[in-house]
Amino acid sequence: MDDALGTLARADAAKLKSFAETLIPDLGEIEVLQSRSGLVMLPIRDTAGGVAFHLGEVLMSEAHIRKGDAQGYGMRRGHDLEASMAMALIDLALTSNVRTDDCAAFCDAEAAALAQADEDVLRRVEATRVNMETF
Amino acid sequence: MAYVATRGGERAIEQSERLFREEMGGFDRNRVNEVKQSLPYLIDRVMGEASLYDEDLAALALAQTGGELYEAVLLLRAWRTTQPRLQVATPIEQDTLFTHRRISAAFKDIPGGQVLGPTLDYAHRILATDVLQGETYAPEPVEPAAEPSPAYQPSVSAWQAENDLLDPPADDATKGNEIPDLTREPLLFPSKRAHTLQSLARAETGGVLALGYAAMRGYGQAHPTVNELRLAEAEIAVTHPDGRQFSAGRVKVSQAEVVDKKGEKLGIGYGATFGWNEVKCIAAATLDLNSPGAEKGSATEEEFFLYHTEGVESSGFCIHFKLPHYVTFQSSLDAIRDAKAKKAAKHTQPSSSEAVGQTKSEPAE
Repeated sequence: MDDALGTLARADAAKLKSFAETLIPDLGEIEVLQSRSGLVMLPIRDTAGGVAFHLGEVLMSEAHIRKGDAQGYGMRRGHDLEASMAMALIDLALTSNVRTDDCAAFCDAEAAALAQADEDVLRRVEATRVNMETF
Repeated sequence: MAYVATRGGERAIEQSERLFREEMGGFDRNRVNEVKQSLPYLIDRVMGEASLYDEDLAALALAQTGGELYEAVLLLRAWRTTQPRLQVATPIEQDTLFTHRRISAAFKDIPGGQVLGPTLDYAHRILATDVLQGETYAPEPVEPAAEPSPAYQPSVSAWQAENDLLDPPADDATKGNEIPDLTREPLLFPSKRAHTLQSLARAETGGVLALGYAAMRGYGQAHPTVNELRLAEAEIAVTHPDGRQFSAGRVKVSQAEVVDKKGEKLGIGYGATFGWNEVKCIAAATLDLNSPGAEKGSATEEEFFLYHTEGVESSGFCIHFKLPHYVTFQSSLDAIRDAKAKKAAKHTQPSSSEAVGQTKSEPAE
């Protein structure tokens, strides 16, 4: 799994759009191949029979852009075409070596924020752990 | 069954819809946000039954229908047909679930331990009537632990398989568009396991509970013990056009395994759905556990429970009975009149011409 893409897919939408906008002048002319919302079918593995089956579909936003041979792609949950396009712009910048340090710093900061949020959730979950006593 | 085309009533129909919507009042994005934030478990239930995961759309459907669940699910099912399918994600594996709640009624010391997560299982059921007197209900805050719970937990059934308590699941390499899909294929019997579980995942909660409860009460072959119950978040693993895999976000899912003794080992049933809806998953897993060898026409026979728990079809069939059935009903009345006439003729033995003359005419339908 690509960690940077995973981070961009869950990054704060407002920060994502704000940062991606600063990349546009440096990226120059780009070609938009796709910008749309649609559904991703999500299967899960049944632990009784081992079969993969569909839970249902998830609304997603998708953007696919290109600059020369490099391509950028964004896919995020929900209907927010600006956010998926912002993700694609950052991905394109990373793959075409445009302001890679800035992009990496943005990804690191967002990854840290997401990790902190996950830890906060899991510390609250841990508070509900049952320590069984046998008597 | 017969139908007849009817005309007239256009104004009444239009005004009746206006009456429904006017009594409910207008709504805007703020209403949708309030529904989404204040009723997360209802949102989860609607998303599961609609088989469409998006909290905004589910809240919108609830706001638009005034909480009429069947209408809300129908709206979402209809809407999804207008959308393109972008990809089929990689199947979720149990040990990759970001776990909020994981319990077992079979073993107290399961690998990874038990975390209750968010639940009202042990709460006093006391209605907060003070709120109606102007008080604000303020829940006690959670006291977080110093260390986080492990995000990912091992599988209880895998541990049982290692200990020869149940047969391990078969390997299945099916992925992408090869996975059977009820939204594009008919449900045929005997059902493919992938169809059965997909159908239960999108089934109506009350229907699944009713039939699962029937099995639990003894109208089935197996009594369930909850082997493992999880409320979790699952990654949506998609593929970049250049081939890289990444998580495009998370969705809430529930899954349940139930077991029962079966010879020298355990039999196991499984259920899962979008959102956090553990009643539905336990009931679905109970039906799955009971379905092998179930008697034809019983509540635990797959054709019976799959057909009768599909909420959009069953509610649609139910409400169609209120639509005009004038020809079929007239036919029933004709049959009643005929039976009465024959009975009268038998008792009085009048000539056939007199019997016909005694028949009363009904008012125009």
